[in-house]
Amino acid sequence: MTPMEKVLGPLGPGLGGPGGSPEPMAVQTSRLTKRYGKLTALNDCTISVPQGRISALIGPNGAGKTTLLRLLAGLARPTSGQAIVNGVPPHQDPAFLADIGYLAQEIPLYRRLTAEDHIRAGAHLNPRWDGESVRERLTTLKIPLNRAVGKLSGGQRAQVALALILAKRPRLLLLDEPVAALDPLARRNFLGLLADGVEAGGLTVILSSHLVADLERVSDHIIMLAASRVQLCGDIEDLLAEHRILVGPSKDTTALERSHRVVQATRTPRQTTLLVRLNGPVVDPAFQASEVSLEELVLAYLGEDAPPALANLTTVGEEQ
Amino acid sequence: MTWLVWRQHRIQFYVGAALLVAFAILIVVTGSQVADQFRAAQAACAMHQGCRHLGGLFMGSHVVGFLIISTLGAPILVGLFWGAPLVAAEAEAGTTQFAWMQSITRKHWLTVKVSWMLLAAAIWGGVISALVTWWSSPNNAEQLNQFNPGRFDIMDLVPVGYSVFAMALGIAAGALLRRTLPAMAVTLAGFVAVRVAVTLWLRPHYMHAVTVFYKATSSFTPPGAFWQIAQGVVGPHGQAIAQPNNTPYVDGVPITVLPGSCAPLANSAGPANPTAACAHALSQFRAFVTYQPADRFWTFQFIETGLFFVLAAGLIGVTAMVLLRRDA
Repeated sequence: MTPMEKVLGPLGPGLGGPGGSPEPMAVQTSRLTKRYGKLTALNDCTISVPQGRISALIGPNGAGKTTLLRLLAGLARPTSGQAIVNGVPPHQDPAFLADIGYLAQEIPLYRRLTAEDHIRAGAHLNPRWDGESVRERLTTLKIPLNRAVGKLSGGQRAQVALALILAKRPRLLLLDEPVAALDPLARRNFLGLLADGVEAGGLTVILSSHLVADLERVSDHIIMLAASRVQLCGDIEDLLAEHRILVGPSKDTTALERSHRVVQATRTPRQTTLLVRLNGPVVDPAFQASEVSLEELVLAYLGEDAPPALANLTTVGEEQ
Repeated sequence: MTWLVWRQHRIQFYVGAALLVAFAILIVVTGSQVADQFRAAQAACAMHQGCRHLGGLFMGSHVVGFLIISTLGAPILVGLFWGAPLVAAEAEAGTTQFAWMQSITRKHWLTVKVSWMLLAAAIWGGVISALVTWWSSPNNAEQLNQFNPGRFDIMDLVPVGYSVFAMALGIAAGALLRRTLPAMAVTLAGFVAVRVAVTLWLRPHYMHAVTVFYKATSSFTPPGAFWQIAQGVVGPHGQAIAQPNNTPYVDGVPITVLPGSCAPLANSAGPANPTAACAHALSQFRAFVTYQPADRFWTFQFIETGLFFVLAAGLIGVTAMVLLRRDA
């Protein structure tokens, strides 16, 4: 264990970050589990998101994305396991809350209040508050500041809520399906804004979507959930480098499967296509290796129902 | 946070304030008429010899009188329309997720909101009660029982306790159910149930009632506008005497337990001369009256107000536990 990992001892092994480098983490969870009665919304979720990333939280509807975000924001409490957000477990404390920006999917705003009212409320409720940025942004977008937000269109409301979240100047943004309500142009515009914010430093973003295409352009990190479990978590570049599509003749692949992990296999009488996570070079000359796209990777892991949880791809080679 | 509370609830505040002002104008205008009427009645009474009491004379318009009695229901209004939606409407609209993700704790959020609401409820109850008390002061002077719900429950201190309790009940129901309409229903039912239970079963026992025994043939009336809890007759050995209906009585004693010589006296209107046997039998019986003395009025007001404050505090405690422990 590195000294850094000793400091983070209670989190258990495998959470140190890639190769045990001391990269600071915005979010780390350890076996995070949330049950509602008999329903398990999130199961054994161990992930880490380094600071300064834009992480795409991808998964089909009902995979547990919202639950994970709510646990990180401190709006829900884990049934078991632990989360560390900005260095501490989520808790009710103004300093902790000041560092988190969470926007729920329903875009909660006071319908009878205007955007200006929300800006002023934010000024009363937050230590760092850049209300002027909201006014500027909404003016640019031609969204009226003095109309009740309940009378705005869904897209306009989403813009108001997003601008308000950014005005809080949080260190971690948790956005639940933020682009769902936006048209393609507004979507691109908003994601660009996020990228600028991260570029400027001090901001980490986790944003969820059930479509990888929504977030592919801006995100450099991915967390994939399916059936309440983590399927994949890591830097997109690393993940793409670690996976290959192997195309070869239809033959026994036992040897291959021994050395690499087969994520998805498609076999026809004439040809075998494997999506594998590499564990060293592919030695079998009969197979042609080609790079994998993020979309292919996500679909492959989504198709893989059980056994799930390849939670610690980022910590390949470390003790599990 | 106070700014947000004000901004969110100022319409409710304006409506509440407008209702109070309208009520105040009505009460002040009609109240001065009632006072004039009272003075006139007193003067008229003074002209007649032996007129010490104006009796059950009700002064003031009966429409306003009805409105005065209706203020029995005033406390529940704040519970229904301010208390129940306070948390429930926010939970329904999801705006708790907005408020709770600002840089304030849920505890802080709840404390500020609830404090202002309870204060508003106390003012609501207090202003209405003050107006009603003032309007009714001439009638109160003629009240035979100050503990009568038409008097005790709508005047002086207790309406403040009821309003604060109704508000707390609404808030707690809303926090538990997270839906406004069911919370309103629970608030209404809960308020009525608690008020009825307290009035019928608790209030008579705030202090040990006074019982006075006296000769059945004599009479006794406690001083002032006392509250009679019970009355009856006990026999020679202190045993309670049943008081059946449809039986003639002599001095409050049913003739069934008296010698036959008393029978002619039963229900007789004029002065009667009982036979010696009958008089002796009658002298064996004592009448009693159990009552809360009139001078306990303020003690009872304080006790009942305190009781409802304690209930309100408990409900706010439940609300805090629910909101701070449960997932948002």
